[in-house]
Amino acid sequence: MEYLIILLQTLLDGIMIGGVYAVLAIGLSLVFGVMHIVNFAHAEFMMIGMFIGWACWHFLGLDPMLGAFIALAVTFGFGMVLQRVLIRPVLGAPQVAQIFLTVGMLFALENAALMIMGAEYRSVTTPYQTQSLTLFSHGAERVLVGMDKLYAFLMALLSGSAVWLFLNKTRFGAAMRATSQDPMAAKLMGVNTDLMYAVAFGLGVGTTAFGGSVVLPYITASPAVGSGYAVLMFTVVVLGGLGSVTGAIIGGIAVGIIQSFSALFMPIQLQNLALFVVFILVLALRPEGIVARRRS
Amino acid sequence: MTRAETLSIALPALVVLALIIAPLGLDPYGYTLRILCLMLLFCAMGQAWNIVGGLANQISLGHAAYFGIGAYSSTILFGSFGLSPLIGVFVGMALAALFALVLSLPTLRLKGHYFALATLAAGEVARVVANSWTSLTGGPVGISVPYRPDAGFWALQFQTVLPNYYLFLGAMVLVSLVFWRVQTSAFGYRLRAIKENETAAEVIGVNTYRVKLHASLLSAVLTAMLGTLYAQFQFFFDPDTIFGVATISVKMALIVILGGAGRLYGPWIGAAVIIPLEEMANSYLGNSIAGLSQFAYGVLLIVVILLNPRGLISLFESLRDRLKRRQRA
Repeated sequence: MEYLIILLQTLLDGIMIGGVYAVLAIGLSLVFGVMHIVNFAHAEFMMIGMFIGWACWHFLGLDPMLGAFIALAVTFGFGMVLQRVLIRPVLGAPQVAQIFLTVGMLFALENAALMIMGAEYRSVTTPYQTQSLTLFSHGAERVLVGMDKLYAFLMALLSGSAVWLFLNKTRFGAAMRATSQDPMAAKLMGVNTDLMYAVAFGLGVGTTAFGGSVVLPYITASPAVGSGYAVLMFTVVVLGGLGSVTGAIIGGIAVGIIQSFSALFMPIQLQNLALFVVFILVLALRPEGIVARRRS
Repeated sequence: MTRAETLSIALPALVVLALIIAPLGLDPYGYTLRILCLMLLFCAMGQAWNIVGGLANQISLGHAAYFGIGAYSSTILFGSFGLSPLIGVFVGMALAALFALVLSLPTLRLKGHYFALATLAAGEVARVVANSWTSLTGGPVGISVPYRPDAGFWALQFQTVLPNYYLFLGAMVLVSLVFWRVQTSAFGYRLRAIKENETAAEVIGVNTYRVKLHASLLSAVLTAMLGTLYAQFQFFFDPDTIFGVATISVKMALIVILGGAGRLYGPWIGAAVIIPLEEMANSYLGNSIAGLSQFAYGVLLIVVILLNPRGLISLFESLRDRLKRRQRA
């Protein structure tokens, strides 16, 4: 019974954190799906979302779960501008140009944050950080979920479903999917593809910033926090298939579960190593699964 | 010999000659000489990257792994067993080749973004291992090369910076010659065929996998050699700098792209621009604002890509062509 409890607890932890990974990665997947660009700077928007969430809490007393909406709005606008000024010129360019443009963005954003915010770690205090919910108990053994993790998971679920509904159930979403499948045909059908690209990028970085804000109660913000999650986000989208929202959700939860189980028997350094190796292997074994999306 | 051919031999010879004479007027312990050393070293590193990244367009963001393997191999062998870096360098090169070989199994069939992502992760694997395998590498605090100036050339350590300068110049010329040899050989044509159209190259009978593997091995081995030289020059390094994405991997690529990818003089021009610029920024701005130099570096990368993704060398060429046309008219 003890083992079962540990198993259940680990599984639950994995799902909770995995849901957040999913929402962090959805944006990356969306940007790739619509624009066919791998945004190396994407994890930096998680960092930006965290700082916006932190600022809302620090200056306005807003809970990070609500600050997340402000982070989403601000980053959405910022992303649209970045897309207009920097990404659009390289949309048809060779991949080398795309890779190094976004790598340049990565350095610029991370170090701009360092210059503005300084290197110190910033965290928030909320009443629910120390609370937890008992889901199941057997004698002295209990399966617990921290309220901060639960709230973050629910917010992730909310934003993930919102993006899915937007893409699949609205006319605008249909136009965006059309642009992703065949920009030329979409243009001929009267879709404003330039607008689609800008909105996709804004929404992509916005959802990631949203995810950044909701994890604030249990992850501290610093300028370098994004780089630490970059490979993780790429692993999630590559596992689920780049460009697919549903894939990102499945991939996120899978990575969360893998991570929480490997934490049972591996030191933290090796966990990261395992993640890198899984990532390279997935890239190698399913390259066609990553590129080829279902075309109906 | 046509005029163009004479020029193509005379020009690099003149540059190398100038580089041989240049330090004679400089303080042999001086700061300027150190910067020139770094310039030559990074030029050589860019050239090594250029073999795979430039000619075959396989964008590696993990070359720091080879560089760090070279640096750590010779330093650990020298520190623990007193083995001369002159021998250690070959151990580093062999280990880098092994790493490249293992890495090639999952990555060489990947293209474009996916290759870049996989190599980025591979570089990070090396960094994580170096940080956590404390008993071997000394961990995050870094490692020092034991100072033995009395051992002379055997320890690859010198009283002044001058011998290092000529060593780096030699390395730069060597790597450039290797690049030139590759570029002008059938092997180089195959690499460029892969760059233009990999499927077409395969159809006409190029074994693309083997060609890319050979280029990767060559590039890895040269990079590891330069890693040893860097360690002997700096005397101290830690995993985050030697395996750094920004400090090594991307810088190597940036030097090439700024100058002109796939071109012999690309890294020459790139290194001659970037390294002095970086040093100047560092000495004027210092550490007054943390992150400023890296920020500027990111912005520079963006500007280069947006303004002229074909590199500075293409600017010179278009200028030259315009002059020629005017002469004729």
